[in-house]
Amino acid sequence: MDAEILGLIAGSLVSLGAYSVLIGDNPISRITENIYMGILGGYFFAQNWDFISKNALGKVANGEYVYIIAIILSLMLLGRLKPEYLWISRYPVVFTVGVGLGLSVRTTVMADFVGQIQATLLPWNSLNNIVMIIGTCLTAAYFIFTTQKSGLYNYVHTGGRVFLLCAFGVAYGQTVSFRLELVIGRLVAMLDPRVSMYTYAFLVIIAAILIYGYKTDKIVWYKGR
Amino acid sequence: MSIVDKLLEIDQRIIYAILFIALAFPILNPVILPMSIQSYSQQAFDFSDNIPEGSIVLFEGGLTAATYPQGGPGMVVQIYHMLTKGVKVIFFSIGTEQTVWTMTAIDTALAKLPAGTPAENGVNWVHLGYIAGGEAGVGSLVNDIRATVQADYFNTPIDDIPLLEGVNDATSLSAVLWWGGSEASIGYGVRQVSVPFDVPMTGMCTTNEVPNFSPYISAGQLQGLFGGVRGSAEYEYLLGLPGPALGQAMATNFGGLLWMIMVILGNVLYFIKKMGGEA
Repeated sequence: MDAEILGLIAGSLVSLGAYSVLIGDNPISRITENIYMGILGGYFFAQNWDFISKNALGKVANGEYVYIIAIILSLMLLGRLKPEYLWISRYPVVFTVGVGLGLSVRTTVMADFVGQIQATLLPWNSLNNIVMIIGTCLTAAYFIFTTQKSGLYNYVHTGGRVFLLCAFGVAYGQTVSFRLELVIGRLVAMLDPRVSMYTYAFLVIIAAILIYGYKTDKIVWYKGR
Repeated sequence: MSIVDKLLEIDQRIIYAILFIALAFPILNPVILPMSIQSYSQQAFDFSDNIPEGSIVLFEGGLTAATYPQGGPGMVVQIYHMLTKGVKVIFFSIGTEQTVWTMTAIDTALAKLPAGTPAENGVNWVHLGYIAGGEAGVGSLVNDIRATVQADYFNTPIDDIPLLEGVNDATSLSAVLWWGGSEASIGYGVRQVSVPFDVPMTGMCTTNEVPNFSPYISAGQLQGLFGGVRGSAEYEYLLGLPGPALGQAMATNFGGLLWMIMVILGNVLYFIKKMGGEA
């Protein structure tokens, strides 16, 4: 049996365990969550350690001593592990946030501000352009809180709210679609003809455990909606 | 309790079960219905198709175990597309898990390539692996590759990689292909590569993030965007390389249709109850 099939079988078992939370909180779903968090934490640590050893320790070993600063900052982050040394970890965090902010701000004005304003300066020659211009102006006007909401501005405010609600509707629809795609992705892997028999077997085993748990009151039946 | 009340108070587990069946059915019995191509996907495909042979492109692979089924088929097709066109690709990921999935996509695409297509590791493509630091890491990479990474995914020293001879920053790039998945990282590419270096860029994100990044298309900062499994399916369709995304897109249609029916039904029942003076 090759690694891909083993991965699919393990994925099938873990996915069913995770989805069992839909019936209600139960030991199988909690075990699955803990396994996932444990594996992810270990993997994340190993990958980051590999990155540091290759790109910081390796460079120091090659005589580029400036990277000692990066290593010291990394070690200072471990101060978070003990509450009395928490303050030590704040310095690398401040440094990282500052660098990230500086790097993003230098082009944010062009990418997220000027570019977006330019994109709204459109000719009034198509319905799309008209909706874009009116929608942008009304939505921006909705957030002017210093103006009295009366008279003509009342219509502007309502128009802005309508555009915002449309945008929220689109975002909701897209989110539903995304969640469905996540489930479909798992189902495609679980129902792969090479492993579907394992999926059905796991389904039966998990169902039997849960039914036994509920019947004997070892698992509390969720009585919500 | 009236039938309206019973339906409005239905146990959510019954809805999950119905949804599960609606999603599993088209997967077990694949049906491919005609589909239209969204303008964002068409733009992204046209842009990719016009990248000249011999160009070097930067490719961020940001898919995870959760998002690979949606974006993976499209990513595989894009890698196939680039390599068959003779475009050289520099891969990297800003997440640890994403690095492995990017490698999976590369391997899948390599296995599909027609015999004789040049696709040598280090010559036609290179995977730089995980780059820590998020947006700061991206900024560092495109300004000085050698100061950011010492070796590629396979531990080959950067200076021993033929593709990277004379390549050390984004000025050598012809395009950026950003498969961000659900990382919400397309903005990193726009801010750190596309705008400062004037390198054209396309993106891929999960369906829920399309509204967040579509303003970049209107502003011309993105040359197109593949959204979720539908974006992947459209890429497969446009390149004439049918794959798993087309089947998944149909399952999404079934699920979406069911969801829409439930939302409409819920609202209709609510108004029936309200008109009866019960609300």
